[in-house]
Amino acid sequence: MPPPLRSPSVIPSTSCAKQLRKTAQSRSFSSTPQRDQRATRARRQFFRWLGTQGQNFLNPLPNSTNYLSAYNAAGQLKRVVEAASDRAERSRQSGGTSNSNDNNESGGGNSNGELPPETVRDLRPFPMNPAFVSQPVLSEEMREKIWERIMKKGQSVREVSASLGVEMSRIGAVVRLMEIEKEWQRIGKPLARPYAKAVMSMLPQTHYRPDDTNPRPHESINDLPLHAATGAQIFYPTSESRHFTRTDAARIFDDNLLPADDRVPHPELTLMHKDFKAGMPQEQILARQRAREEAEAKRKQAALDKRKKDREEVQIVDNGRWHFRFTDINVDEAGKDGRGYRGVGWRYGVPSMDRSRGAIKIPTRVE
Amino acid sequence: MTRKRFHGLKKVKVRASWNKYNLYNLTRLRAPPTHRNHYQEKWTAKSMSRAYHGEYIREKQWQRMFRSRIPAVVPMDHRYLAENDGSELAAGRGSGREKPLNSEPAKSAKNQIPFMHMTYAPLERRLDMAVWRALFASSARQARQFVTHGMVKVNGQKMPYAGYLLNPGDMFQVEVDRVLYATGAPKTPEQIRKGRKIHRAQRLANQKASEKRLARKRDVAAGRTNLASTGSQLGIDEIRKQRKLDLKALQNQAETILHDKRSRVGAKRKIQIRAFMREVKDTMKTVNRRSEKELDAELASLVSKLETIRNHAADAAAEKAEKEESESQKEELSPEEQKKLREALVLSRENPVDESKPYATPWRPRPFMSAFAFIPRYLEVNHNICAAVYLRHPVARPGFAEVPSPFPAEIQQLAYTWYLRRR
Repeated sequence: MPPPLRSPSVIPSTSCAKQLRKTAQSRSFSSTPQRDQRATRARRQFFRWLGTQGQNFLNPLPNSTNYLSAYNAAGQLKRVVEAASDRAERSRQSGGTSNSNDNNESGGGNSNGELPPETVRDLRPFPMNPAFVSQPVLSEEMREKIWERIMKKGQSVREVSASLGVEMSRIGAVVRLMEIEKEWQRIGKPLARPYAKAVMSMLPQTHYRPDDTNPRPHESINDLPLHAATGAQIFYPTSESRHFTRTDAARIFDDNLLPADDRVPHPELTLMHKDFKAGMPQEQILARQRAREEAEAKRKQAALDKRKKDREEVQIVDNGRWHFRFTDINVDEAGKDGRGYRGVGWRYGVPSMDRSRGAIKIPTRVE
Repeated sequence: MTRKRFHGLKKVKVRASWNKYNLYNLTRLRAPPTHRNHYQEKWTAKSMSRAYHGEYIREKQWQRMFRSRIPAVVPMDHRYLAENDGSELAAGRGSGREKPLNSEPAKSAKNQIPFMHMTYAPLERRLDMAVWRALFASSARQARQFVTHGMVKVNGQKMPYAGYLLNPGDMFQVEVDRVLYATGAPKTPEQIRKGRKIHRAQRLANQKASEKRLARKRDVAAGRTNLASTGSQLGIDEIRKQRKLDLKALQNQAETILHDKRSRVGAKRKIQIRAFMREVKDTMKTVNRRSEKELDAELASLVSKLETIRNHAADAAAEKAEKEESESQKEELSPEEQKKLREALVLSRENPVDESKPYATPWRPRPFMSAFAFIPRYLEVNHNICAAVYLRHPVARPGFAEVPSPFPAEIQQLAYTWYLRRR
């Protein structure tokens, strides 16, 4: 039987030749993904987005945050659009004279070329998650000032924290990092200045304002952690005449739970304000505070001394290879059932996990 | 079978990276469809959120890390604590002074603590996650690579385990060059080729130098010594060398502007740049004949010129003004101007053109970085030294959650319930 006339094997058409070439091209033995991708609709839309709204992120605003939620669907800055409409509204109310040139430049800034300040809405990097906001970081000047107050003026961390509205742990961290930075400068190790400048210009910042009498705090410094014991709802019947305070409530939640006044990081602020309410003069308030601080320091020193003494009591025998440390132990610490966590030695039924396989060997702390 | 794309367009999966595809997908992220059964909803929520939160961590590993208890704090006003002892909340209860609890539902909703947004909080304790959150890497996977390659130190010690759980107060540092590479704009293929050439030349030079050193050692052993030059002479020589290097850097910068493929350089500006380069060359020739002061003045004027070239001050009027200004500068520099010029010089020194680096020089942030640039409050970062301190574990507080997550509360709640059932 003769082959059918229109068979491509008999009459090679141009389209067929094209196809053949295509298959020959795609027959590569490389395992790396092909660079030329199919132009699907999704990819076309992506490139359209890159050319329009995406340009806002390719060429970010100088000296401003540049998050997704700061832009509307058309890729315009929401705050600029709002400011322009506000201005138009105001001008309409005031007289209605021509203001067409104002409306034209809605893509840029306001009339004097400056961007309006960001609101919380503009500081959300994830449009779907309103609970996460990019919160300000300490500016370089502020960090320098914190370092100066602690290291040069010798103020206490507590004092600086309360006056600048910065958490105590952050104050410590700032000083620690600044010390390293200064050390690098001293030995001539190059800093990552261009990187730091670029990043700081992209982030919201808390600036140092010495002239401001009531500056906005960087963060809340008196955070009360939610204690697990306070999670339960307790109905506690008591007499109406009873003066039922926070201390009583804490005791009902848990025998060892302290009231909020003592669990916040800055209890001294409460005490000082109490003194102030009692009508004491400023000098007396400060003197009482100083006395409290001294008592606290004494207590801390005593605890340190005790720890030092305990360490000295450990008998160390050095045989050249090991330091054998001998301490007194109490056999009863294993407890009635022999499973107390302080118990030492081999006990019946208590597995020793020292040599078990698969145990995680990642260190849990670095000193 | 081909591997699945990490940043796919077909199925919207938000990843922990600064990729432009990821940014586009972030704009397309929608809440999953409802009217399905609870299991399906939970499954989708889990798979969506896990694609962002530690997708490279095995599921079992994460299940072990998951905790149902969520840390939260409430900010307390010390004035309120001082003025009230708590009894005012109970006073008059049952005798008519009681107020309905939800008198202002809108306000109370705003001040609710977003507990469910803290579902993935335990992951934020991992070292690789913290490195990424501190903006030292462009993706969580890259941060993990930095850790495993030994580029990260914790409290001054090398820590090659990405799964190390940071303790409050731990300080971590990343190698500065790695950070600049991760966050800087990439090189063009041409620049990559140039860089390779430089590396090859350096290797050769190093070889030669080591040979020379060996030869000198042999000489010293034979008893021959060279006379050392005087201290003051060495000082001026070193300064001249430094100035020469600065001039070379200026030349390089001008060249990069000339050959920049991103922005077309007009004919007029090209002429300007070429004239500038010629000037630099002339100065380089006469470096050894000039005093330190003259050199500094010359260098400062050159830097200012380069700045104007860079700032597109091409129109004739500006040019004219610039010319006059530079002439006046040559005659006499006011202290303020001198300070400004010195600053410009420092700027060009701290961000030089260096083809041997693995990132485009002068350093500039990588595209699309600004949309992802934020630092959560549980970290305190010093970008100058690429180091950060992990202050505390992330917490939720009224209205805010500290765990950065692109997902709304519903998705996170469903994911939370998914992991809760195994406890």
